[in-house]
Amino acid sequence: MSYVALIFAPLVFSGFLYLFTKKSPLAKYIVLGYFVFLFVETLFLYLQLPQNGYLMLGKFLEVKEFGFILTLEIDRLSSVMLLLTSLLLILVTLSSWSMQKESAYFSLLLFFSGAIFGVFMSTNLMWFFIFWELTLIPMYFLVGIWGGDGRVYAALKFFLYTHVASMFILLAFFLIFKQTATFDMTQIQESMLVTPTLIWWLLFVGFAVKMPLFPFHTWLPDAHVEASAPISVLLAGVLLKMGAYAMIRFVILMLPQEAHKYAFVLLGAGILSLLYAGVMALYETHLKKMVAYSSISHMGLVAIGMATLSYEGLSAALFEMIGHAFIIAPLFLIAGFFHYKTQSWQMQDLGGIMQKAPYISALFVLAGLGALGLPATMGFVGEITIFLSALDTYGAWVAFIAFGAMIGSGYIIWTLRRVIYGPMSQKVQESNFSISWVEFFALAVFGIAIVAFGVYPQALFDAINEVFSAYNLGGAM
Amino acid sequence: MSSFVLALLLLPFIGAIVTFVVGKLNKKIPFFLAYIFSIVLFVDVVYLFSVYEQPFVIDYEWFRFGENALPFGIYIDKLSLIMLLIATGLGLLDIHFSHDYMKEEKDQARYYAKMLFFIGGMILLVSAKELLGLFVGWEFMGLASYLLISFWHYNKAPADAGVAAFLYTKFGDIFLFAAIGLLFYFTKTLDIATLNHLAATNQIDSTLMYVIAIFIFIAAIGKSGQFPLFPWLMRAMEGPTTVSALIHGATMVNSGIYIVARMFDFYVASQALIVVAAVAALSAFVGATSALVQSEMKKVLAYSTMSHLSLAFIGLGAGSLAAGMTHLVNHAIFKALLFLSAGAVILVAHHTKDMWKLGALGKKLFLVALFMGMGILSLSGLPPFSGFYSKDAVILSTLTNPQTFGLISSLTLIAGVLSIAYGGRLWVLLFVSPQKDEKLHNSIKTPSLFWIALPLGVMAVLTLALGFFQEELISFITSTKGSEEHIGWLFPFMMGVIVFFAFLVWFFYYKRLDLLQKVSAQPLMKTIHQILFHGYYVERMIEWFVQTIILGVVTSFVAFIEKNIIDKAVNGVVWLSYKVFLLFGLSKSSQVSNQVGGMVLGVVVLVFVMLVRNFI
Repeated sequence: MSYVALIFAPLVFSGFLYLFTKKSPLAKYIVLGYFVFLFVETLFLYLQLPQNGYLMLGKFLEVKEFGFILTLEIDRLSSVMLLLTSLLLILVTLSSWSMQKESAYFSLLLFFSGAIFGVFMSTNLMWFFIFWELTLIPMYFLVGIWGGDGRVYAALKFFLYTHVASMFILLAFFLIFKQTATFDMTQIQESMLVTPTLIWWLLFVGFAVKMPLFPFHTWLPDAHVEASAPISVLLAGVLLKMGAYAMIRFVILMLPQEAHKYAFVLLGAGILSLLYAGVMALYETHLKKMVAYSSISHMGLVAIGMATLSYEGLSAALFEMIGHAFIIAPLFLIAGFFHYKTQSWQMQDLGGIMQKAPYISALFVLAGLGALGLPATMGFVGEITIFLSALDTYGAWVAFIAFGAMIGSGYIIWTLRRVIYGPMSQKVQESNFSISWVEFFALAVFGIAIVAFGVYPQALFDAINEVFSAYNLGGAM
Repeated sequence: MSSFVLALLLLPFIGAIVTFVVGKLNKKIPFFLAYIFSIVLFVDVVYLFSVYEQPFVIDYEWFRFGENALPFGIYIDKLSLIMLLIATGLGLLDIHFSHDYMKEEKDQARYYAKMLFFIGGMILLVSAKELLGLFVGWEFMGLASYLLISFWHYNKAPADAGVAAFLYTKFGDIFLFAAIGLLFYFTKTLDIATLNHLAATNQIDSTLMYVIAIFIFIAAIGKSGQFPLFPWLMRAMEGPTTVSALIHGATMVNSGIYIVARMFDFYVASQALIVVAAVAALSAFVGATSALVQSEMKKVLAYSTMSHLSLAFIGLGAGSLAAGMTHLVNHAIFKALLFLSAGAVILVAHHTKDMWKLGALGKKLFLVALFMGMGILSLSGLPPFSGFYSKDAVILSTLTNPQTFGLISSLTLIAGVLSIAYGGRLWVLLFVSPQKDEKLHNSIKTPSLFWIALPLGVMAVLTLALGFFQEELISFITSTKGSEEHIGWLFPFMMGVIVFFAFLVWFFYYKRLDLLQKVSAQPLMKTIHQILFHGYYVERMIEWFVQTIILGVVTSFVAFIEKNIIDKAVNGVVWLSYKVFLLFGLSKSSQVSNQVGGMVLGVVVLVFVMLVRNFI
């Protein structure tokens, strides 16, 4: 099978799917089936990876004059991202199972899967950029159509903000092309760029918006608040990871010298995001905004891990990326579920949900404990590995980032107190918290993963450690 | 051998899961499952104890990230064994006691599962070879205490108390976390034995050692409820009394002392012991004086725990591992006894915790009164109860150490002799002073002999019998003989003061209650009473700081920046680019879509202009 179909088939067929299943509930079964197939396929791809870690999937659509070749090549980093993405797509579909009926929704998910696979698989900068932008379109509609009251504003802000950021990326890519006459990633890595500093900064800003890092994060709380819960999972679990992936791929691995020179910028942005967004999460009484800020805070931790530029730190950052996806997903889903049932986001309107919905509340507590980094959850493993690697690279003074853990405990524990525990509020008493077993199953998968990989992280690190051993990360700081 | 050790570590967690899942079937099942699991755990520990020759060591690599490996080894030596015996033995008695105490509770499965998890956390903590494993156990205990204190989570007070327990201890924990990071960075090892060795042979920088010792001690302050992080300990009284017994006797609060004792060589080398002694002396004083005026019997015991843990810390701080550790062991037993006795009273008195509402229970609850009385005598430090020997040793160690002689030893002495005052007051008010509420009094029935009195009796006998084995205990823990030093005047002085205080309590709380009311009506006494009753207002101050400064000022300030600077800046860029766009005269339309298009285009134009001017 030609692997290019993994990208273009969903892009094309999503339209047909919408047209043909407009009035039938078939769409979600087809999409789910396809995502399961996609997961199996990426698993095969991962297992096929040769010793050196690079698997060429072919070149397509050559327009030689402009260096416009769709080169599909995956390495360990992208295949890990593909695995994570396809798994999350399955779980996102399952979590929308009973709440979403329209086929357009599932068609857009299908479209999104094509675009995101393009991002992770292509090594040609131009095509990378096209797919990068293409992910915006389904996300724009998914937020803008199935969101809350302010969804149009949020979707527009999200679209414009990230789109403008993409302009920086595009400029950087043009500058690269101007100096090297190629869009091919591997060739660029070998060539000497004339203005690498400018390119580094442009790329850094472009990807920092997507990740997002302080101070480019303001689109995220708005988008998350208005998006429906499964779309929030998609945003936090896939789209943010796309930013982090690109940050590693371009800002760190493609320009190692500049990365070493300006790593402190990444570190600073990471630390600021960790603490600043943590304090914002303390401030918020809006349940979903709290989760959104905690998500930014954790991405700050990821950025700190990246900024170490060491084999350990990058592995830790990748672990935290996966851990964050698994931890933030149930938080968003359950927060959305509470809102769906009580019609309120405000924490003071909630309270005592544990008495009404003990199992879902317990999962929320579990995910919260993961977010605050309790041992035996993925959150702790990510936190301690990033902490140790950051100390290793930057010395003892970064030990103060341990305070991030205190802030994290603060907002999680207070949120649990206000939402899950305590006496039942009026709204909670009046609501009925039944959940379909499909959605509960999706939540339980996240819960099990949080604990399983937290108790036995080696299972993931076996794969992750290989990811960066293939790269030359340059000399020591 | 290693299979017994592994069973010890895994069984509590397996037990917790099994109890929770299977326990949903039937209301009776959870207790018996938990009971069986805790018996097995205790037998396992006794077996390990009986075959002990040299430390059991299991090396295990938890995971490897990049080139770094994080170890998770097991190391059980005599110190761990003592702690294991306490945790599983008292845990077993506690679960036994729960049979009646928690009979009315609907959610049996959740309760027993959490209890097993709690014991498991303690086992993990004391069996860890590396600081990392210790930290995992440490955090598990934090979680377990959070879950158990807010066991009745549907009420406001327990839910808030759980939050307090978690956050107060977490504040300490981040220092332990930071200490782990620093140690890993500077010494490349987290193995406690290695660290002790490195410290003892001066291979670690002394400043670093001092900083790390202080960091770890801050974590211990949080966990063991020392000044100023103690308020959670009193709030924790909102949980079931069996949980309080577990927290205060068998598990959680001991961990702070354990970590200092475990890293004792490190502390000796770091010169930080004097800090430990100083903070602990202050806590001992604060705890003992506050315990004098509490009206809830559990709060008296909570402050007394704080005070007695401080005594153990002071023993360590004065350089005597033997004094500190024996006091920890003795305290664990008599404090569990006292808590469970209080629990027995609370159970029969329909959850009345205020001792001013009770009284004259001695006849109805003869056995409870007897056993609790023994516990209080041990607490007060009367020979031949075990509490006497270790408390004496602690005070002696502060007097003989020139560093702690003076203020620290005086505070210790005061805290030491005050035990009889608040302990005696508690006992007199509960059992011999006249009854206050007849209706309540008449409804009180004698509790079950097997489920309630038996565990109390076991512990009462233990606290008495252990007094005759102090030498053995010391030589088992420290592999040395107890100190030979004696101060002639100490024993008669202590006994004199204790008898005097006992007389005072008898006089004011039994003989002349009217006089007591007159005294306490004095304005000065009222003020003192208020200060002590509120634990020197430490909780108010911390709460004020957190609520007003952190949650009020800091978060509002950050939120202001977020809304008015960061977000406005984004809009400003959009506005600016729109103006630039207009400048080029490209649009005169005011349609929204055109504006949006204009914004995007404007930004692009801006960036391009910048680029053209600078680089191309």
